[in-house]
Amino acid sequence: MLHGSLDALILKTLTGGPRHGYAIAKFIEDTSDDAVVVEEGSLYPALYRMERRGWLEAEWGESDLGRRAKLYRLTRQGRAQLAAETEAWRLFTAGVSKILLAQ
Amino acid sequence: MKRSLRSWLWRVPIEQEVDEELALHVEMRRREGRPLDDADIEQVRRACLAIARKRDRDMRLVEWFGDVREDVKFAVRQMRASVGFTLVATLTLALGIGANSAIFALADATLLRPLPFREPDRLVSIVERTAASPHAPVSIPTFEDLQHQSRSFDGLAAIQMGAGGGPLVTGPDGAVEAVERQSVSTTFFDLLGVAPVAGRTFRASDEGPRPTVVVFSESLWRGRFHADTSLIGRTVKLNGAPYTLVGVVPDRAQYTRPARMWTLTGDVPPFVRQRSIRVIEVVGRLKPGVTHEGARADVATIGARIAAEHADVGKGFALDLEPVRDSLMGPELQRTSLLLLAVVGFVLLMCCANVANLLLARTSARAQELAVRTALGAGRGRVVAQMLTESLVLALTGGVLGVALGAAILRVAPAVIPPGLLSPAVALQFDARVAAFGIAAALLVGIVFGLAPAWHATSGSLLRALSSESRTTTGGRRVRSVLVSGEVAAAVLLLCGAGLFLRTLLVLVSVDPGYRVDASRVLTLDFSLDYGPNQRYATPESLMQFYDSVARELGARPEVESVGWSSSLPYGTTEFGPFVIDVVGDPPLPVDGRPAADVAVTDDGYFRTLDLPIVAGRRFTERDSAAAPAVCIVNEAFVRRVLRGRNPLGVRIALQRNPQMKPIVKEIVGVARQTHGWTTDRDEFLQVYMPPAQYATGDVYMVARTSRGSAQALTPLIRSVVARHDPNTPVRRDRTLEYLSVESTAGYRFRAAIVGTFAALALTLAMIGVFGVLAYSVQQRQREFGVRLALGASSPSILWLVLGSAGRLIAIGGAIGLGLALLLGRSIAAFLFGVPAVDPVTFSSVTMLVVVTAAAASAAPAWRAARVDLVTMFRAN
Repeated sequence: MLHGSLDALILKTLTGGPRHGYAIAKFIEDTSDDAVVVEEGSLYPALYRMERRGWLEAEWGESDLGRRAKLYRLTRQGRAQLAAETEAWRLFTAGVSKILLAQ
Repeated sequence: MKRSLRSWLWRVPIEQEVDEELALHVEMRRREGRPLDDADIEQVRRACLAIARKRDRDMRLVEWFGDVREDVKFAVRQMRASVGFTLVATLTLALGIGANSAIFALADATLLRPLPFREPDRLVSIVERTAASPHAPVSIPTFEDLQHQSRSFDGLAAIQMGAGGGPLVTGPDGAVEAVERQSVSTTFFDLLGVAPVAGRTFRASDEGPRPTVVVFSESLWRGRFHADTSLIGRTVKLNGAPYTLVGVVPDRAQYTRPARMWTLTGDVPPFVRQRSIRVIEVVGRLKPGVTHEGARADVATIGARIAAEHADVGKGFALDLEPVRDSLMGPELQRTSLLLLAVVGFVLLMCCANVANLLLARTSARAQELAVRTALGAGRGRVVAQMLTESLVLALTGGVLGVALGAAILRVAPAVIPPGLLSPAVALQFDARVAAFGIAAALLVGIVFGLAPAWHATSGSLLRALSSESRTTTGGRRVRSVLVSGEVAAAVLLLCGAGLFLRTLLVLVSVDPGYRVDASRVLTLDFSLDYGPNQRYATPESLMQFYDSVARELGARPEVESVGWSSSLPYGTTEFGPFVIDVVGDPPLPVDGRPAADVAVTDDGYFRTLDLPIVAGRRFTERDSAAAPAVCIVNEAFVRRVLRGRNPLGVRIALQRNPQMKPIVKEIVGVARQTHGWTTDRDEFLQVYMPPAQYATGDVYMVARTSRGSAQALTPLIRSVVARHDPNTPVRRDRTLEYLSVESTAGYRFRAAIVGTFAALALTLAMIGVFGVLAYSVQQRQREFGVRLALGASSPSILWLVLGSAGRLIAIGGAIGLGLALLLGRSIAAFLFGVPAVDPVTFSSVTMLVVVTAAAASAAPAWRAARVDLVTMFRAN
């Protein structure tokens, strides 16, 4: 996966409402038709880092299994970050496309 | 805050947080059929824990700031909710901090702040030790020896004593003004490290037998000469003689005495160049690396050599060093600063005690609120932090007000502080140091008086008290009683001090002044005529001519009732100082055992103007001329102490200013009523009056009595008459006799006023404390009193119960205060005069005063206790 893009994917995922870590990974994998595989070793440190930066906040909620689950929610700062990363991604892919897909 | 509140409520240890989260993930993966490797999960776990730890650290900081903000907001709300409490507490603190800031400025200036010279630590004063004084000025030959022989100094500078006067300065525009002058050596400014504001300071090439260069102070140059730079290098006239203005220096160059211009000493007449005539102050700059002790040994060696070679230095002669600060400030000023610092320190402590008391009472009243907060899970730390924040906000508010008050006090201080108390080199000012002191004191106070209630609020007793619905919290009451007893003790101590100072002042002002005239009607003016060979007044006759004609012309004016001349005035103002006395015909006394008397060259007009009675013998008359037999008048103490009561008339005495001068032999023809000398003199003041024609001097005072209106109003008339006779003679320092009388006790007045003010403040604070504790305890014990009344106790017995508990507080505090006063009384003995440090009158009056005010403070609460209305009270419960 391209460096930094995981953060953007997590932020985007959470626009649909609070989710726990597993659900976030699952959503990304399903939505990308398994084109993107999220490793635990990347996902959880990223979540904690983003929480520390204030892009996410966490609260205890209930999982589908009826167990206590740590749910992540997007903060206002997180939304701003998502907008910035989306724009950066758009510029990046447009630039790469110009080269790779040139006739 | 939402975030921090949530994490506060839901907080779990981070290990649990990470483990639970990952366990869920592992479980989900397992169910999905994609189990995970344990080692991988352990790695993830460690990474997450590391970040989570950092996250929590950040969060705690954010939370802490949030808490502080909340606490401050809450504290401000609390303060606004109880305006009365806030007002009393902040004003009390403002008074305490204000007084402390102002006195700190004084102590800072006199004791702490570096002197306004370059590397002041390397500056020392060199003094002569003589039998009469441990720090006398230095004679000119001794100064020259020091210059040649000492090895410890980069340089020495001399400041001539008394030779300043106030010459008339005539600017290029012709305007004339009398300006205080200091006469110094060329090294003076460079040695102190004072750089010129304009032009230059003195240099070696200025030296000569009669140097004619002058340096102005910045305030003289800016004020009188409008900072005119073109003036530098031009000629100004001093008493009519042309001088070149070479430069301007900052005002801080004033050394020990006020001066607005500086000239060079030049050559002095031979009679001044004697070991026994000590006329200069010497300041030296230590060479780098030379210690104070090393330099002291150096000058002591030179002193010993001089003592061995020159018998005329007198017995007990030695040379010594002292820090420049001691010469500039003097021991009395430094002691006064320390005394006042101690006094205001006590007042501040009492302010703290009172505010702590108020806070304690409020804490008990807020028991419910605090209990609820604790029950809701606020930890002890949070409650203590909250209480401390409240007291700190309170203290800072009081502190800011106090610093403003201190600044205001310092603004008016120059008008209150007696002239001459502060060295001119030291400006009493409000600055960042004083403000920082005030704020620091406020913070310290906030912590000190905040801790007691905070501790009390979180100790178990409060919660127990609350749960059992008891109405009293005994622990708090004990703390508050101790605080109040302490306050009473401090008030008693300060009152005793103030009482002793007041009694000293009363002793001083009630002494018979000797003269019978209303002192406000007499004006004194300082004259300095240039008398001597080749001077404008070359002969005694020319001087007498001036005195007589000026006195005659003024005496003829209707607004002037009487005019006279004298070289000494009452209250220790003297041009000559003491002469040593021998009674002719008596067996000779040892050199050091002979009495010394102040000599005043005085005409009969002086006695008439002051209405100073001649109690025996005759007055001076026209016939006491230079050619007539030498006569004198002595005062009553002279008859008692020198002549031991024998008939003075006809006795001949020999007067000697110093051992080199030929004695003057005079016959006593009269005795004048006793007048005051220096207020600090423990012995009665000895005085010999001589008629002017028989001892000519140009340094005299005129005394003039007004026939109507204020004495000060005579000044313009006198100036114009004098100017008609001699336009080049300065008339300086027009002061009334009343002013001299008041000024002579100024130091005592100042101390009595300041300590008295603080003692009154302390008494008020202590009584507010007594009132507060009683009122609160009466309110708390209402039910107990009700029960007592219901069981048959009489109202008076309840009254006595309350008064008794007040009496206990006051008796304990009072006894401690009196004990301390007995112990500390000796330390202020130096400030007392005619009153013993352990003075029964003062101590018993203070006790009476405290008992009466305490009774007044206790009356209202006691009355309220005795009038508890049973019906209303039991219905309420």
